[in-house]
Amino acid sequence: MEKRNEQLNGHDSGVFRKRFKIAFAVVSIMMSLLILRMWHLQVIRGDELRQRSENNSVRLRKIKPLRGLVLDTNGQVLVDNQPSFDIIFVPTRTRNTDDVAWKLRNILADRSLSLTSEIPSLGKKRWIPPVKLDKNISVEKLAVIETHTSDLPGVTVEIVPIRKYLSGEMTAHIIGYTGEVSPEDLKKDADSGFSVGDITGKDGLEKYLDQYLKGKSGAEQVEVNVLGKEIKVVGKIEPVSGYNVVLTVDASLQKIAWEEMKDKAGAVAVIDPRNGDVLAMVSTPSFDPNLFNGGISIDDWEELSTDPSHPLGNRAISGQYPPGSTYKLFVAAAALEEGLITPDTSFNCHGSFELGNRKYRCWNKHGHGRVNLHRAIVESCDVYFYNLGKLVGVDKIAKYARAFGLGQITGIDLPREKSGLIPTSEWKLSRFKEAWQLGETLSIAIGQGFDLVTPIQLVNAYGALANGGTVYRPRIVKRIETADGRILQTFEPESKSTLPLSKETMDILTRALWGVVNENGGTGHALRRKEADVSGKTGTAQVVGMPDDKTGSKRKIISAKFRDHALFVCFAPYKNPEIAIAVIAENAGHGGSAAAPIARKIIDTYFEQKNMKNKKDQPLTAAVTHSQTGIFR
Amino acid sequence: MKFDRRLFFNFDWTLLVLILVISIVGILNIYSAGNSLDNLRQETLYIKQIQWIVLGLMLIGVIICIDYRFICRFAYAFYAISILLLLLVALYGYATHGSQRWIVIGGFSFQPSELVKLTIIIALAKYFDDHMTEKSYSLKELCIPFFIVLIPFLFILKQPDLGTALMLMFIAASLCLLIGIQWRSLLLAVSGVLVMVPFSWFILKDYQKERIMTFFNPEDDPLGSGYHILQSIIAVGSGGIFGKGYMKGTQTQLKFLPVQQTDFVFSVFAEEWGFLGGLILMIMFLVLILWCLKIAMNSRDLMGLLLSFGITALLFWEVFINVGMVLGMLPVVGIPLPFLSYGGSSMVVLMIAMGLLLNVSMRRFVLHP
Repeated sequence: MEKRNEQLNGHDSGVFRKRFKIAFAVVSIMMSLLILRMWHLQVIRGDELRQRSENNSVRLRKIKPLRGLVLDTNGQVLVDNQPSFDIIFVPTRTRNTDDVAWKLRNILADRSLSLTSEIPSLGKKRWIPPVKLDKNISVEKLAVIETHTSDLPGVTVEIVPIRKYLSGEMTAHIIGYTGEVSPEDLKKDADSGFSVGDITGKDGLEKYLDQYLKGKSGAEQVEVNVLGKEIKVVGKIEPVSGYNVVLTVDASLQKIAWEEMKDKAGAVAVIDPRNGDVLAMVSTPSFDPNLFNGGISIDDWEELSTDPSHPLGNRAISGQYPPGSTYKLFVAAAALEEGLITPDTSFNCHGSFELGNRKYRCWNKHGHGRVNLHRAIVESCDVYFYNLGKLVGVDKIAKYARAFGLGQITGIDLPREKSGLIPTSEWKLSRFKEAWQLGETLSIAIGQGFDLVTPIQLVNAYGALANGGTVYRPRIVKRIETADGRILQTFEPESKSTLPLSKETMDILTRALWGVVNENGGTGHALRRKEADVSGKTGTAQVVGMPDDKTGSKRKIISAKFRDHALFVCFAPYKNPEIAIAVIAENAGHGGSAAAPIARKIIDTYFEQKNMKNKKDQPLTAAVTHSQTGIFR
Repeated sequence: MKFDRRLFFNFDWTLLVLILVISIVGILNIYSAGNSLDNLRQETLYIKQIQWIVLGLMLIGVIICIDYRFICRFAYAFYAISILLLLLVALYGYATHGSQRWIVIGGFSFQPSELVKLTIIIALAKYFDDHMTEKSYSLKELCIPFFIVLIPFLFILKQPDLGTALMLMFIAASLCLLIGIQWRSLLLAVSGVLVMVPFSWFILKDYQKERIMTFFNPEDDPLGSGYHILQSIIAVGSGGIFGKGYMKGTQTQLKFLPVQQTDFVFSVFAEEWGFLGGLILMIMFLVLILWCLKIAMNSRDLMGLLLSFGITALLFWEVFINVGMVLGMLPVVGIPLPFLSYGGSSMVVLMIAMGLLLNVSMRRFVLHP
């Protein structure tokens, strides 16, 4: 077989030449078809189509979808939608905008009202895009403008849905808030599907579940006359409402937790240890998410974002605190499981522990005397745990603390979770280029020093012990439903790992935690009650060592800031625990006196509710339906 | 390789100038089309387009230095890489407008389906060059080339991107017709396609069916998919003979037009420059395509011929389908208009293709070593 290449050498191969001729012809003919079509549209039908383009007074208007609702575990609506009346100015080509601006100003000034923005001057431009003059206006303003619409061509009232946070400050950190899509988001990707003015989640679940909640915009073709007044709707694509989100949170527990915490700074996290469901989560101080509706005012934003007490941050998942004595549980677990002590190992506490020429004090300066592990946990003896720390060492402690889920994010379905910090000798070397000191081990053994945990980590760790050793990923979203109640996705409990502890070790530890509350001399004695036997651990976290400032007057003012944080972590009942709670009250003093009573209120409410439910034997769910309220339905 | 002075004298300045002129028209047009968008986006649009063109020209500079026969030795490697990229898109790509077409490489979003258009041309050229027969091909002999096209075709159809997928078929069909198919095989293939058409209806996504249906009756659905066609026809027609003037197209500036900087960029041009502007642009495209055909016809060997003919086919089909769509003659499918539509992937790939054409053209007198 001879290669045809030779035939090609002189660019004159018969068969190809013929086919190229055909190709030339085909291309020319088809391109001519395009030109003919252009002639047809532009020359023959040109006038008609120009007419149509000039009368193309049919405007495409985006219809914003309703965001999905957020419901608590019993179906109670936490977030709804409400209508907001916005004033829009659509410039028309036929009218002088300055004239309209002047009229609008006068009409409003007569009643001493004003709008947030003025109608811009058209200047030399032929056309400017529609402007939003004011949003979420009062009924009074609405009435004034509605009665004068014929005098104000181009000024229209647009009704858009905005959020209504029914549970307000109470759930602000779980649910987050929404806002208009930022210019950075728009610029990032020209094809992101966002357009100016779209509403998007900015924090909390609004952000985390934005893709489910946001829904899909619709559009409406509206015919307008030369004055820009709408005549009729030509066509419409209905918007699709966002999906509803059902939480694991129980609104009544959330309410109690909020009531107890609202005058303090701190956080409460309540979970069901059997599956990691978050039953309540409060962070204080809080903010009113309704301020963000339809765009937050600059003043409000300024106030919230610069507040030194950080009301916008969710302390329950991003507040990193020294765990204080609540950390002793993990040190004890390490010592037992590594076989370094038995439950009977005892140390003598005379109020302090000497290392070199330094004295490490016990919180009880008179000393606890000779204590074994059980009593050491019950009475929270620091000296006992200095001894354990020295025995176990920093890296083994870290190994067990990490096994409980500390020092890493729990993976809860909320944005901006922090990981806390569980130090190791290696960490210190790479971070500070310094070797680990034994004195530092003593500090971390009682939950001070470098140790940092978040409330959700703490409650999750204790929950793992309570349920017999399974570390769950805390879950706050139970399921996602369509607007008409069809279940779209259910999130199952997710176990992350198993505690590397033997049954005996866990029994010893749980008994000790029970003793903290129920035995004489226990630091959580205040919480003892018959109905539900609570087990827990108090903690008092030093914010700083004694600050050494010289001016006494200044010290008084700032002293509140340096007061200890009160911590309490607990679960109940003793057998098959179904609720676990972590409470952190900032600068509130001792865990037993300041944090434990808050946990107690929550536990009381939980069991009262449970008893009521058992008596009626009828779930609360039936009382509330998933109906969307407001004028949209 | 020793520098051959003839290469310089034979450089195809006409082609390069044509490409540059059309690209400049494209930049001006995108500037206008972007005018109604927010300020920040307009700026990024036309400046980015200029950056792509400059990058493309630099790539042309590199490509013409290497003999295309050498480049084509790696045809199958290029092909494999582009299939790999398509696989990555299917696994990790991100979606816009409901279609997963993009991957991010080193911070840049990239559309491998654009690259595939070129790599299958090179792969097919290589295959036919290696397996030339005396007679016309039968269907059996076209099996391998068929699979070369089928793999990327299925990937792209899955994204889903019907337009680009069909484009691959058009390119392959054009090449087959050039090298010659036996009449019997041709009839068989055509009837096979005709039988497949009713079945393929079930494979199409809803939005694709909708678009095809509304093509036949745009007024039925003036808001949904018919909206694109109708507004585009109004835009083009209202341009009249002389157009409404640069940056003065009301359809464009009032944002009646959908995706006016990409697939519908020609309606912006036709509205603002009228029939006269459109005619001149169409003539430029016609000259460009015929010129490319001439390069293919005059190439020194079969490889050059197939390569440049494939590229010409790509150019022609894109122009024809895009403009036909904008003028309401063809259904709406996502095909960019060469050199005018905004988009980095298509622009750079097109420039590389043009580099190959220049390459073939300037070596038309060089004999085989």
